[in-house]
Amino acid sequence: MAVVTVDQLNKRYEGSPELAVKDVSFTVADGEFMVLLGPSGCGKSSVLRMIAGLEPITAGTISIDSRVMNRVPAKERDIAMVFQSYALYPHMDVYTNLAFGLRRRHVAKEEIDRRVRAVAAKLGLTPFLRRKPHALSGGQRQRVALGRAIVRNPKVFLFDEPLSNLDAALRVSTRNELIKQQHELGTTTIYVTHDQVEAMTMGDRMCIMNKGQVVQVGRPLDVYRHPADTFVARFLGNPPMNLLKGTLETAGERARLRLGSAAVALSGWTPSALRTGDVIVGIRPEDLAETPPPGLAGKAVPLPVRVVTIEPLGAETLLLLLLEGSAEELIARVGRDTALTNGAQAMLTLDPATIHLFDPATTKAIPRG
Amino acid sequence: MTGSWLAYLRRAPLLLFVVLYTIATGGPFLWVALMSVRTTPEIFASPYAIPSRLHWDKFAEAWTSSHYGTYFWNSAIVVVTAVALVTVIGAMAAHCLARYRFRGRRLVRFLILSGMVLPPQLLILSLFQIMLDYRLYNTLTGLIIVYVATQLAMTVYILEGFFAQIPQDLFDAARMDGYSDFEIFWRITLPIGLAALFTTVVLNFIILWNEFLYAVVLLTEDTRRTLPLGIMHFMGGHQLDVGMIATGLMITILPVILIYAFFSETMIKGMTAGAVR
Repeated sequence: MAVVTVDQLNKRYEGSPELAVKDVSFTVADGEFMVLLGPSGCGKSSVLRMIAGLEPITAGTISIDSRVMNRVPAKERDIAMVFQSYALYPHMDVYTNLAFGLRRRHVAKEEIDRRVRAVAAKLGLTPFLRRKPHALSGGQRQRVALGRAIVRNPKVFLFDEPLSNLDAALRVSTRNELIKQQHELGTTTIYVTHDQVEAMTMGDRMCIMNKGQVVQVGRPLDVYRHPADTFVARFLGNPPMNLLKGTLETAGERARLRLGSAAVALSGWTPSALRTGDVIVGIRPEDLAETPPPGLAGKAVPLPVRVVTIEPLGAETLLLLLLEGSAEELIARVGRDTALTNGAQAMLTLDPATIHLFDPATTKAIPRG
Repeated sequence: MTGSWLAYLRRAPLLLFVVLYTIATGGPFLWVALMSVRTTPEIFASPYAIPSRLHWDKFAEAWTSSHYGTYFWNSAIVVVTAVALVTVIGAMAAHCLARYRFRGRRLVRFLILSGMVLPPQLLILSLFQIMLDYRLYNTLTGLIIVYVATQLAMTVYILEGFFAQIPQDLFDAARMDGYSDFEIFWRITLPIGLAALFTTVVLNFIILWNEFLYAVVLLTEDTRRTLPLGIMHFMGGHQLDVGMIATGLMITILPVILIYAFFSETMIKGMTAGAVR
């Protein structure tokens, strides 16, 4: 049982006038897997290090199970952390690396041995117990780092970009392994990454940060479907969401969006929330189609474009397009059997229900409803 | 064939240099080694001759009647204690300077490292007065303290450079594992920095074992002399017992040679290798 609450957290590093972390607040429920996602330098690692007790807090509170941790030293917080560099002790073998934290806590020798061997068996490390870290592969080191956290049976796991030093194939398998372990253990977990795939696949919820502030907290698919602003819209999704200049025309109960030479009748927004004028239009590449999906034929909006480049990826094809009438670039993700060719004029279709609108002044999303 | 000749030719200057260097450094050593088993009259008769008879008994004589035994033990006590102390104190200071960002850190580092810049001749008078005031003049304890103080700068300099390379994550991990600052120093910094630590131990040992200036000023009583002073003792104003000096030199040099023979590779590794591979 461990609920981690971060409230109005601020961090200013010595010698820097700027706040590295600014008014960050979120709560991680018991057993939840929370991902802190953001570009490098957004303050996510600082938040993690403050939760760990490795970095003093400038302002705000961190509590675990409603006990304020601000002044509790790292070793008494009952938190285990996996570092990006793994931070294995190079002069100790795998067994000692795993046992090191338990020895300090004066766990009985037999109990340490039992737990170390159990964790080693669980992670497939038994054959390597007597090896030093430099004699292990990257993936094995990663598992030792994970084992060192698991063996302590802490209240909270913290992960600081633990997969970024692994090659692509190993990253996928280790990611699945991590998810499996976390589900089995049910330990509250906070995971820092700049990789959106990790965030989408691993987290129960994600907390997206930018420039030291929280931009959006929510379930991965909810955040993907309803990005709070243009930063989240562009940050999640690969290729990222197309952001285009559009013009809104409202008249009474009807709202119309001009996009290049196309006009789209908007539905789903309260007309009073929309104002005539410029607007940022967000369209996910996968929401553009060559032919209207069945059942949408009537509602789909035609979008005249010119094909600039075609990138066949095998399972799908990416089209780099120019929007007719505005010359803005956009990307579409279509099926692998596309009939389009470079330079071709085409009419793609768009489901108006998938359109996102953002206020150009604040870059915040204009919510439907 | 011409290719291999060219290769030889290209390496010839290097080879020549190595040979000359070996003669320049090894020659005098070999000469002293030969003289150490010859008597003074034999040496005066023919300085560079090969020994006709090996006088091993000269070593026993030097050890007992010429007091080299006493000098040896004095040297051993002073140097071993001083090296042990300077290693512990230096390692702790280096750990703090490399690991913590505290107020006045740069000043502390400057003060410690400035010790390397000052020549001993500049310090010797004031040291002499301080030793007198604290009744440490003419004591081994006094010399030990002086040795620790003078070698601290170099020790901190070498160790700090090495300790600073140890990734911060290791210390953070140990803190999360529940270890105190001192335990982290003891269980993480020291074992990982072992190669560097070893380098400073060997370097300090060699430097202090041969140290002459501080010893000659701060020790006057014969029973407290260290080995370098003992050798000087045989260079009287009127007579020069070259044979005995050579024997004494061999007794002095031997521990250094042994240490170097066994540990030179580890030492070089410590000076050049990174902290964590």
